[in-house]
Amino acid sequence: MCWCGTNIAKMVDVEDVAKEMSKLKHVVLAKDYKYMCSDPGQDMIIQDIKEHNLNRIVVSACSPRMHELTFRKALENAGLNPYMFEMVNIREQVSWVHSSRSEATKKAKALIAGAINRVYWHSSLDKRSVEIDPTTLVIGGGIAGLSASLKIANAGINVFLIEKETVLGGMLKNIDLSFPHFQGANELIKKIVNRVANHPNIKAFTSSQIKEIFGYVGNFEAQILSKDKEELIKFGSVIVATGLKTFDPTPLTNYGYGKLKNVITSLEFEKMLSQGNVLTSDGSEPNHIAFIHCVGSRNQDYHPYCSRVCCNTALKQAKQAKMAIPSAQVYNLYADMRSIGKDNEEFYANSFNRDHMFLMFDQQKALPLIKSASPKDNCNLIIEIDELLSGESLEVPADMVVLMVAMEAQHNAKEIAHATGISMCGNDFYIERHPKLDPFATTTAGVFLAGTCQSPKDIPDSVTQANAAAARILAAIKKGSAEVEVTTAEVNEELCCGCQTCVKVCPYTAIHFDPDKKVSVVNQILCKGCGTCGSSCPTGAIKCHHYTDQQILSQIEGLMQMSYELEEDLL
Amino acid sequence: MSFQPKIVAFLCNWCSYTGADLAGTSRIKYAANVNIIRVMCSGRVEPTFVIKAFREGADGVLICGCHPGDCHYHEGNYKCLRRFHLLQKYIDQMGIDQKRFNLEWISASEGKQFAKLVDQFTQTITNLGPCSIKTTMDVLS
Repeated sequence: MCWCGTNIAKMVDVEDVAKEMSKLKHVVLAKDYKYMCSDPGQDMIIQDIKEHNLNRIVVSACSPRMHELTFRKALENAGLNPYMFEMVNIREQVSWVHSSRSEATKKAKALIAGAINRVYWHSSLDKRSVEIDPTTLVIGGGIAGLSASLKIANAGINVFLIEKETVLGGMLKNIDLSFPHFQGANELIKKIVNRVANHPNIKAFTSSQIKEIFGYVGNFEAQILSKDKEELIKFGSVIVATGLKTFDPTPLTNYGYGKLKNVITSLEFEKMLSQGNVLTSDGSEPNHIAFIHCVGSRNQDYHPYCSRVCCNTALKQAKQAKMAIPSAQVYNLYADMRSIGKDNEEFYANSFNRDHMFLMFDQQKALPLIKSASPKDNCNLIIEIDELLSGESLEVPADMVVLMVAMEAQHNAKEIAHATGISMCGNDFYIERHPKLDPFATTTAGVFLAGTCQSPKDIPDSVTQANAAAARILAAIKKGSAEVEVTTAEVNEELCCGCQTCVKVCPYTAIHFDPDKKVSVVNQILCKGCGTCGSSCPTGAIKCHHYTDQQILSQIEGLMQMSYELEEDLL
Repeated sequence: MSFQPKIVAFLCNWCSYTGADLAGTSRIKYAANVNIIRVMCSGRVEPTFVIKAFREGADGVLICGCHPGDCHYHEGNYKCLRRFHLLQKYIDQMGIDQKRFNLEWISASEGKQFAKLVDQFTQTITNLGPCSIKTTMDVLS
């Protein structure tokens, strides 16, 4: 029973729970400790296993999604099969969500009693490993996909690189200079594209997409759809680096995008910069240029998250505008300056010395309002803003307004998630395996993430993640094999009646019918352990390892009985 | 003491269990009546599990899976949905009110929705009162 400091112990009477659990059948000892996941906590478990000859362990702590593997490892270190373990989630699903200590403690007891009943039926499962085909598939030819491809190819590994557009380069093709050092983004990406295009180990497919990926870690295959042909490729690992797109600001009626002339997006302004002519719609040089931040970002109606790069991009574009037209006045209308990242805060501070005007607005209260100016105003547009720091309502003159549009997930993010078997967050960016400890792996073994398809990022962060994903794949290739799911389904041939219901419901075509024996057979490598076959089997012939009927039924029994016992105690 | 319903919930690991974890990390409070059992996929929830929960004295049973089209295993949730409709008819014939058995889709990002669902379902079951099937069965056996 873990306290997790005060995280659990504040809401659950952990010591009382331990006392109660020690009375249950089969329980040899029940202990509580401040941090079970810490080294001393794990050592205690290992010591106790050895000392008391324990053959089952239950830990009640945080979510198994957090530390199930940690404790399985501890069991292994003590010489016990890692599956002789059950974890009870009394932090995320008890102490953090309830407000009555007695109710939370009662619930914790019931859940742990269920787990104790369940673990009785656990059995040893042996690790299974498969060989890894070193060839790697990279989806997306932007800075992340290109960097990852090069890293892997440079190690002597073959790479398939798929890009949906006609040319490689991704988002950076459209960017003139990068912040904060004004390096040419376009030149940078051209160099990398050249290296990729001429690399003997990389086969790049442009104007191409992949259909669904089949197989399992180390042994995948997929059809590539190009303009005029289809090709089947085989590979062992996947990097998804499909990037993001910019937000269309039309729905934000305050800004009049698409209606008012000279209201443009940051991407359109970037194009002007790279072409070297910053001009208004009538072809004249603008005297006043305003940048409005957080357009679609940090806005509950559109995207609640921060798009991460827009503040710095606005500062960069404002400086470039001043370089192009030194007499112009630039305004930054911002909600909150977020100039994070190496050298970026200094970059921001430097803008103050360059005669840039910063005006703050409260996004919760009122967005700035852009209107056409009247002829006497001597400018194209007027922006009304309730300036937060001065508390005054101001009218800002502008000949051109640049909207710093949000970064959002690709249109086809969902299709790619389905094709590659990965999951999305609510905002359609992809979910990493662990937000802190494994931010570039996914929950699908062998499939990794790189760049902005996970969340908005700047160039260095995209490249870092791409290299990390590449390193993970190279490490797996070096090892030569990968462990695969062992919590799979298995058919008891004695009980199987040959109805083939399981064959029909399996989403992975992992079950076939043996016409000689007249029974179903599960391919242990293809099976991913969802258990759908087990719950469809009319004769109970299918055993879903680690989620067997017995295990779950006992868990239900244990937790319900404890709930009733605790109720009777109260009466 | 007022009636405190006992509810068993089966949550799929990839969407709904993660969503319930998110409710925790977001510190969203909800009723303590729901006891969560983790399964890899809502498609794993056998009719027997649901019947067993009622047999052991659950006043309500909840299944949560990924939204249609988002299943980690492609279509386990559809299999669950089909079974759910049949099972509702079945429990009705056993004398268990259909409202005591519910299936909802909760994604990994829907912590708030999960908390709301638990509170609503707990309220529904509280209004229905205790489920008598356990007592009946205890007498019969």
